[in-house]
Amino acid sequence: MDLKNAIVRARRGLREERRLYVVAVTSLAVAFICLGATLLGVTNLDAAATRWGQSGRITVFLKDGADAQDVAQLGVVLEGLADVQEVTHITPSQARNSFLEEADVGADLSALPPDVFPASLEITLVSGVTRERSESIASRLAEFRAVSDVESYGAWFQKLDQLLWGARMLAVSLALLVMFCVVAVIGNTIRLAVARRRQEIEVMKLCGATNGFVRGPFVLEGMFQGFASALLAVLALLVGYLVLHEPVDSTLAALTGSRVVFLGAWTLVALLVGGALIGAIGSAVSVRRYLSV
Amino acid sequence: MQETKVVRPFPFFRAGARASQPQLSKPILVLEDVYKFFRPDQPTLRGVDLKVERGEFVFITGPSGAGKSTLLKLVYRELTVDEGRVLFCGRDICRLTDKSIPFLRRNLGVVFQDFRIIDHWTVYENVAVALEIVSMPKRLIRSRVAEALERVGLAGRGPELITNLSGGEQQRVAVARAIVPEPALILADEPTGNLDPHLAIDILTLFEEINATGTTVLFATHDHSLISKRDHRLISIDEGRVLESQQGLKHWPGSGIHTMTG
Repeated sequence: MDLKNAIVRARRGLREERRLYVVAVTSLAVAFICLGATLLGVTNLDAAATRWGQSGRITVFLKDGADAQDVAQLGVVLEGLADVQEVTHITPSQARNSFLEEADVGADLSALPPDVFPASLEITLVSGVTRERSESIASRLAEFRAVSDVESYGAWFQKLDQLLWGARMLAVSLALLVMFCVVAVIGNTIRLAVARRRQEIEVMKLCGATNGFVRGPFVLEGMFQGFASALLAVLALLVGYLVLHEPVDSTLAALTGSRVVFLGAWTLVALLVGGALIGAIGSAVSVRRYLSV
Repeated sequence: MQETKVVRPFPFFRAGARASQPQLSKPILVLEDVYKFFRPDQPTLRGVDLKVERGEFVFITGPSGAGKSTLLKLVYRELTVDEGRVLFCGRDICRLTDKSIPFLRRNLGVVFQDFRIIDHWTVYENVAVALEIVSMPKRLIRSRVAEALERVGLAGRGPELITNLSGGEQQRVAVARAIVPEPALILADEPTGNLDPHLAIDILTLFEEINATGTTVLFATHDHSLISKRDHRLISIDEGRVLESQQGLKHWPGSGIHTMTG
């Protein structure tokens, strides 16, 4: 296939059928925006999970009336661990005060006695500690005599993992759906273009054009449609991200301590290349049946 | 069970390949006992034997539905024979693979009654397409197209849109497209069918001029007024059978062309 010639003819085809292609590209861009938005959600959930997972906290609840020597020994052990950044001892009255400050249950809780709240050690782990390592530290701490319970927030992370898994499945399903839409829409667009240019194909075939020569421009047109749709979707998402990330960021930072991130470079490349590739496949498949002249 | 022999593309049908001396000495087209059925009980062509030498101008005539177009379609392989052989330059084109057919067609020029030119293209683009498919350099395409347009009397009309041309001029564009790759054989399927008698003679003369340069021409028409004006070899197809005269209508054996063409 003469690529230069195919490009020239594809450009002519795009020019002649521009209305048809604009409609197709716009429809496909909407599909790509849905996929991109889901991927953006997954990327951000993933980033937040990684961040939370790596900025680990462990709460060690102490037994009522725990021996001061045992608590001191526990403190020494914790300070000796390289993964521990800070240890804060919270007394029952400090815990009560903190609860009364933060709780908003609409009832007068000032009568609550301090001994309702157990004394605890709030452990802040150094940045980058994995969730597995955090769990391992928690299980070791649970063996100390002064310790009543250890909260490593594993269940919470498990739920987050489930949420992430669900989001990823949604992204995969959407990707498949978008793939199907792209193949169907581009296939039909090219089919319409082929029907309109049937005489051209017939003339070329009668002059001795190979199937590759005839197919070439249509495949390029399909490829362009797929790429343009994906690019349009990426640009729309980028604009949305630039407009919204600042107000969303401040809220999110206050709530979760993480910030909104845009799609990664490889995801963007995969979207654009994938769009072009699916477009090419869709048009190659649809033009195939018109080549028997 | 008989094994089907697959014939690989002949080098002769490859782009840029030239016919060898032995190939040049053979008849350009031979049909041997060719049958073509569209309905099992009624063959469109039955036992057609035909030999066309290089440089000949041959009229193919017969009433509508006699099988003229079918015969031409067998030569440019839009159709395949059901029985018999079609030899082009000594090669059996019935056994060409699908991939080889484009290379066969590059050795042929085909002109149709309905012109089959692209309305929204310019004259130049319509002619150049026959050379673009063989990836010829642009500069060469320009000079070859200009030459072809000059031969058909459309010199300098390259930039014009087809819609601005008359019927006769549109057919000239189709002829230019057929001759621009310098094919060995031109197949004209009722090329004057849509033209008035005066323009029909012009187009016929154009084909004769092309034939005078050595190109073989098969000219299918049912217009006996056109045939009667020339003494070219005449092949008549009626009910799928071939009758022929070597020197035109005047020398037609028996009852004459008028009864034959209705």
